[in-house]
Amino acid sequence: MNHVLMQGTVIAVIGICIVFLVLAIVWGILELLRIFFTAKKEPVMATPTVASPVTTPAPSVTTEDSEIIAVLTAAIAASLNQPASSLRIRSYRRVDAATPIWNRTARRDNLIV
Amino acid sequence: MDFLIEGITSFIQSTGLAKIFAATAETPLAFAGVDFGTIIMLAISCVLIYLAIGKEFEPLLLLPIAFGMLLSNLPMANIMHNALFVGHGEEHFVMDFGKILHEGGLLDLLYLGVKLGIYPSLIFLGIGAMTDFSPLIANPKSLLLGAAAQLGVFIAFFGALLLGFNIYEAMSIGIIGGADGPTAILVTKTLAPRLLPAIAIAAYSYMALIPIIQPPIMRALTTKKERSVKMEQLRPVSKLERLIFPIIVTIVVALIVPDAVPLVGCLMLGNLIKESGVADRLSKTIQNELMNIVTIFLGITVGATASADTFLQPETLFIILLGLIAFCLSTVGGLLLGKLMYLVTGGKVNPLIGSAGVSAVPMAARVSQTVGREADPTNFLLMHAMGPNVAGVIGSAVAAGVFLAMAKVL
Repeated sequence: MNHVLMQGTVIAVIGICIVFLVLAIVWGILELLRIFFTAKKEPVMATPTVASPVTTPAPSVTTEDSEIIAVLTAAIAASLNQPASSLRIRSYRRVDAATPIWNRTARRDNLIV
Repeated sequence: MDFLIEGITSFIQSTGLAKIFAATAETPLAFAGVDFGTIIMLAISCVLIYLAIGKEFEPLLLLPIAFGMLLSNLPMANIMHNALFVGHGEEHFVMDFGKILHEGGLLDLLYLGVKLGIYPSLIFLGIGAMTDFSPLIANPKSLLLGAAAQLGVFIAFFGALLLGFNIYEAMSIGIIGGADGPTAILVTKTLAPRLLPAIAIAAYSYMALIPIIQPPIMRALTTKKERSVKMEQLRPVSKLERLIFPIIVTIVVALIVPDAVPLVGCLMLGNLIKESGVADRLSKTIQNELMNIVTIFLGITVGATASADTFLQPETLFIILLGLIAFCLSTVGGLLLGKLMYLVTGGKVNPLIGSAGVSAVPMAARVSQTVGREADPTNFLLMHAMGPNVAGVIGSAVAAGVFLAMAKVL
């Protein structure tokens, strides 16, 4: 009996250490990745700020677009609680829902509750 | 006339009713010729069906489990033969696949998917395709919370040893604390197939009960000030990082704990297929059709292993009790490390996200969100809690791999 408990203690201690070790290694690698990516990100961040003024002054508003813009303006006005006249939509872009279904369900639940 | 009577008698003897009311001495729990074991099992399955439909306790799994239990306990139906897989209590039982294929009923054949470890891994493929690892990549220290929340696994393992379970059974019971059904099934079918029904049912019921089990522990271990901590918004994660992450995790885990590869490998493959964005059809199939099909097969066959002689034992109660302890201690482990992080970072980490480290995606994270919002209605912890939550999945798969590897050398 004592032998089994000794064995059990060893397994439990080694086990929890290995779990921490593996996840800590992944943590370390992720931190390295982050340093690598954020260091690289600075010049990337700079480009859109230069590019945006070029694109915004010339929004090609077709008849279809004006309807969408009206809807978007109304939605923004409603969520910001500001009159629609104070808003001007310069450009819009569809962002695909990359969020997994779980997260979306959870968010929806939070809205409803 | 004789012919008619003989016909009727032999028909009556072939019915399940005759089997219930003409129990022999060998039937477990038989009393005065009535097979109470079967009656109790049928009653338990009806209660579980009620919990699944009426109370919506993890209905996607509990319903097939409960009905599988009902099917396999119907006398004379012969669609499941546990003896083919675990023998009649022999010391070293070797499964005879030929015999299973020749004599097995429908559920015996489907159960091969559990026995060979196929379903749990396929479920992990689906979980991978449904999981977004970006909260974890953005806040990698959540990985440690996922590890800390495996504390209950090892303590319950030790507790099971104290209660007299053998080392393999204790490992299977401990893994309930990982709050991960497929992982628990994979470990148990390998190490202690006899306990599979009790462990699977305990694991899935506690997962359903997370919103009841966790909040009192969370409130008891944290102060209101800690609970109302608002965490900084997570940084956006680039696509390249999301692509590299599954590959790195697979390599690291495979090199250190090769036994966890069927689970972690499938999890990461599913995730890579989703994140790659080039195999949308595969990703959708894995998340929906494949996952649902495997869930049905897994549920019904796991339920079917619950026969009166293995399930109606005092040890089932111990397993359910130890499972609860494992669950609570895992929550405590995550919370305590969360508190430590709160202290070390000078109050930037809300300790509540620690309890989400007990995998059970996404319920545990939602519990963190709910408890956090009680303390401060404007607090949104969900995305922060998703980090430890998905880390917990990796953590419990690694813990399972450690157990499987240790069991080989014992």
